[in-house]
Amino acid sequence: MQSSSSSSHQNAASSSSAHLPQNGNTNGEEKDAKSSHVLLPFLQSQSQNTLTRLYQKPSACLAVFRLLSPLERQLVMNLLWLDSAISPATMAAWVVRDRRNVYDRAIQELMKLHILVNSTTKLVLNNTFKASFRHALTGGGTSGSFGVAADERQSRMSLGVEQLDHFALERWETILHYMVSSGTGQQPERPSKGVLFLLERSALMASMYGAMQITSTGFQFLLHSPHDQLWDLLLQYLHLAQERDMDLVDVLSFLFMLSTMELGRTYTASNLTATQKVMLKDLRDYGVIYHSDNNAGCFSPTRLATTLTSSAPPLPTGRSTGGGAQGEGFIVLETNYRLYAYTDNPLQTAVLNLFVTLKYRFANLVVGSLTRESVRRALTSGISADQIISYLVTHAHPQMRKNEPLLPVTVQDQIRLWELEKNRLQSADGYLYTSFASQADYEFVLEYAHSLDVVLWEDPVKRCFFGKAEGHGNIRGFIERRTGGAL
Amino acid sequence: MHLVVILDLSKHWLDAQSSLPFSRFLVHLQAFLNAYKAASTDSQLAVFAAAPGRNLLLYSDHEKGSLNETDPNAYPSFTLVGSTIAEKLAALYSDLEVLDEPCSLVGTLINALCYINKAITTGQCTPETDEPRILVFSVSPDLSTSYIPIMNSIFSAQKLRVTIDVCQLLGPETVFLQQAAHLTGGSYLQLEATEALLQYLTMTFLSPPSIRATLAVPIQDRVDFRAACFCHKNIVDIGYVCSVCLSIFCQPIPVCSTCRTKFPAKLVLQLKASQLPGITPQTSQASSTRAASAPSRADAPGTADFDVSMHSDPNSLPRYTRNGKA
Amino acid sequence: MDVDSDDSDIEISSRNKGKGKATAKKPKAIRTEAISAQPYTWEENFARSWDTVTEDATGSLQTTVDDLQARSRRRRLLHPSGTALRRTIIRHLVLLLDLSAAMADRDMRPNRWGLTLEHARVFVAEWYDQNPLGQMAVVGMRAGLGERICSMTSSVQDVLKSISEKHKLEPSGEPSLQNAIEMARSAMSHLPSHASREILILFGSLTTVDPGNIHDTIDACAKAKIRISVVALAAEMKVCREMCERTSGQFGVVMNEGHYKDLLLELVPPPAQVGASSAGRIGGDAVSTAPKANLSADLLMMGFPTRLPHSAMAALCVCHSELKSEGFLCPRCLAKVCDVPTDCDVCGLMIVSSPHLARSYHHLFPVGAFTVVTTRAEAEADACFACARPFPPIATSGGAATGGGDGVSPYGRYRCPKCSREFCADCDLFVHEVIHCCPGCGK
Repeated sequence: MQSSSSSSHQNAASSSSAHLPQNGNTNGEEKDAKSSHVLLPFLQSQSQNTLTRLYQKPSACLAVFRLLSPLERQLVMNLLWLDSAISPATMAAWVVRDRRNVYDRAIQELMKLHILVNSTTKLVLNNTFKASFRHALTGGGTSGSFGVAADERQSRMSLGVEQLDHFALERWETILHYMVSSGTGQQPERPSKGVLFLLERSALMASMYGAMQITSTGFQFLLHSPHDQLWDLLLQYLHLAQERDMDLVDVLSFLFMLSTMELGRTYTASNLTATQKVMLKDLRDYGVIYHSDNNAGCFSPTRLATTLTSSAPPLPTGRSTGGGAQGEGFIVLETNYRLYAYTDNPLQTAVLNLFVTLKYRFANLVVGSLTRESVRRALTSGISADQIISYLVTHAHPQMRKNEPLLPVTVQDQIRLWELEKNRLQSADGYLYTSFASQADYEFVLEYAHSLDVVLWEDPVKRCFFGKAEGHGNIRGFIERRTGGAL
Repeated sequence: MHLVVILDLSKHWLDAQSSLPFSRFLVHLQAFLNAYKAASTDSQLAVFAAAPGRNLLLYSDHEKGSLNETDPNAYPSFTLVGSTIAEKLAALYSDLEVLDEPCSLVGTLINALCYINKAITTGQCTPETDEPRILVFSVSPDLSTSYIPIMNSIFSAQKLRVTIDVCQLLGPETVFLQQAAHLTGGSYLQLEATEALLQYLTMTFLSPPSIRATLAVPIQDRVDFRAACFCHKNIVDIGYVCSVCLSIFCQPIPVCSTCRTKFPAKLVLQLKASQLPGITPQTSQASSTRAASAPSRADAPGTADFDVSMHSDPNSLPRYTRNGKA
Repeated sequence: MDVDSDDSDIEISSRNKGKGKATAKKPKAIRTEAISAQPYTWEENFARSWDTVTEDATGSLQTTVDDLQARSRRRRLLHPSGTALRRTIIRHLVLLLDLSAAMADRDMRPNRWGLTLEHARVFVAEWYDQNPLGQMAVVGMRAGLGERICSMTSSVQDVLKSISEKHKLEPSGEPSLQNAIEMARSAMSHLPSHASREILILFGSLTTVDPGNIHDTIDACAKAKIRISVVALAAEMKVCREMCERTSGQFGVVMNEGHYKDLLLELVPPPAQVGASSAGRIGGDAVSTAPKANLSADLLMMGFPTRLPHSAMAALCVCHSELKSEGFLCPRCLAKVCDVPTDCDVCGLMIVSSPHLARSYHHLFPVGAFTVVTTRAEAEADACFACARPFPPIATSGGAATGGGDGVSPYGRYRCPKCSREFCADCDLFVHEVIHCCPGCGK
């Protein structure tokens, strides 16, 4: 590898002049240690063959590249334009001494994804990945993996960006609304059978008493951000795909192709494989693409698709009045436990209803308060205090961001204390043994119970002890034998 | 992430001995910009050009157009960047009459800072998380008239927490840009092997500052912060500064050449007398010994005799032995 | 009571901002009908801030808010003069903090003393940023004595550390102006004449307990050319005002917390050199009478150090005797100092790095104020020259644009008089306050 001839020192920050800006160097370690994207463990569990077939498409390489952490991305770019392998020591010489473990972890992750060839003596990119990624960056190759645009005739019938957003929002909220209001007696619109099947298989809903009820995992799912929710569902879909005999590589490459497409443009479906054509219907149910039955030759991606690998908000954020702009936040929380949510979206109201006692509802405002009952109600359904707090933080109104910390500390602590209240008492079924005739009797029986390991509590002063229910039969038999059946 | 790229389009590109033709540079630059944009969809990019007689914006994420046709083999965002830059450059060169007009690289640098400032005030960019950066591709040598504007830009970059990186493609080393990179925490690269330009760019300038804490990039450690005197443009170690206009002189003179203030004659004579023998900026070696007794104030005549050893190369350090008081 | 037009109410409040006490009652022709309805004349000076907020035709308040923001921006920009005044760059300032019992008063949150310390921290940081060649010392007035809190130093961390030790700075007793000023004067007595000597007093009580005649002290200060400025937290004292007038300093009385900060920050830029004594009032333009020739102009000998990188050998520094590898070498005696700018402890040479000198250049070569584009004929460019964002399109229907006046352009455009390029309001502010360089002129 060519080394730069100017003096290269290991430290980036320097100089004792008092005017240097403060770099975010201390945060580097935490940023690297942030959890990686949820899809990566799934990809790492696939075989090398599958991954290499996947990497033949430049769009797939680009999408996987975007899911990596910043350090991993930089390492891939460093090695991309080299033709031959380099020794690991050469690259390691560029690493700052204190951050060696972060670097090693990154190398491990890349090897697990088979982007780096798995070898300890040299450092080189997987050839297929290298070739297709170079094509992706410079625009070449023949795979056509970025989507062929539909021609004039077909694209005349396509929808505009607003209509696409509306469609995606409506589909997505149908699913969520169905989940929220199951079991509360309302009858919202049912999503399609495929979606219901997916929800059941992913343990988000369970079929009880003939109807579908939401489970505690389902509740936790509701409090995640739309991005995480979408990826959860897609991961389940990928797991299902393996069982339904769909080619995983086709499925993944179609998803990645969608993530690189442009919003508002129509693409033709003529060069998709059979698996991918089946996917068109499924993805339409989730609101990821728009595909009308009478124009089956083409489809358009919605915002849910184009933001798959980015962190931009995947859904248009509510109908805010005036300059609502990018902020998704709509919740204001006060120190007197009162909550004001500036929304008119029934789904968001329903989600808030899970852990907040709603008091008033206006045209664009919902007022409620966090009470012990409402939080306990949520806790019994399986939502944890941390999830409630993180939901409030992610959806906090921009006005709240001026507070330090964001949520009032009293409210946060109180929610956690309510959660701990549940752990105050642990109950166990059993029997209490009292009224022993003498101390020797008591100790004899107690010793026997100890040998069976069924004693939960004992009090030598009062001569009584508490034993588990399953040990009761044995202890009773033992006492009867001792007293000759007199009891 | 926010990146603003500044291209220097002065006539130095046409130097006879240059090993890097402009067309090849554009190809490498295109690949580099694509690599930057590939990292995340949130990466914001803007490209400014310092052309003879004007500064213009070549590409900005806020005002990009859209392509009419998409190529199924290319990511649309990349082709958009490339085509916009190519179009604007073609329009510029067909419009340009005189190539000899001076290019204002520092004016374009101020443009870039204003652009970033606007992004900050409208809320699109937060300096702590987005780490805005400026990357300057320079081919021209230093201009002495641009010293004050460059220093002002450096201080505003420090205030906005912007990192300035510099790549000197052709020509001699530029001290001002070196200072800019050093004071803002960026890296300065003097390009030597021009075939490997893309690899240099990727390894040095692609990573954001938070990754540079882990994967080091080459930085200049020996930046020369000594000033040049206003009269002869020599590098001085000890200078005489006018208290009114802060201009630096290498010798005590009775009248300041910039602001025409007369200095008290007695003071000038005193300073001339206290000037130590052999201390002129271009002295060469002598052994270094410590002063026997040190004068207390700047205007008291020096009593000690000692020599300072300095090489004629202003970039190296004076020899520093252990005999002196540490 | 009648509600008058926006302009008159804003007029009243802007005029009041600069004054610390009740002003002379100027009869305003616009408000004659209102005066008869007003029972007391002091109510005239009372700014009814809610009258400035009016709804426009569509019932929205957005235009009023934008208008008020634009006006406050223009007011800030109009104050600094665009001409280059002679200013002293090398400054020595002694900050006098009142630590008497009157500072425990809670009329400012949390109490006067806490607020003073907070604002002093901001002031010190900003002062060193704008005057890198300056040195500051801190003296406290407590229990009739002057206490030295921090001696003259050019390191901002030292000063900040000394005023952050709160338990040592508890207010008590009576303040003594004379003792404190004498202490400050003696701290600056040995300084050369080219440096400016200043004292800034943050005074919160209404009395002073002095051992002798304070007018003698004032005379001595005037003779030594020490400039005394006072920021009073309580009412105005005649002695304080006289001090400031005789030494050509600035005097101001604080109205509220925000005003306190504004008054302090006005004293950060280097003052223009004044010849004869003239009272400057904070809030007005800095006026300089015709400067006498060679008014304390000096040729200073300064050394430019070489910087030792991290890879150099570790050695002891002369200022703290600590073993460190990075530092600076004095060019005359090769002693190692930790931080610049400083005076070398061994040979006394002033060691300065060239960026520090460069920080002060913008005071001497300021950017001229931009002119306002008021007519449609002048508005040519589509996009701001600095940030390359497009301007809002000009309404094609003819007639004058709405809003504007008083330094605000109705089209949001401002033009540089030298290079004739157009800029938007944000870039105008940025160029004048942060960069101090016009991108079009490139100098």
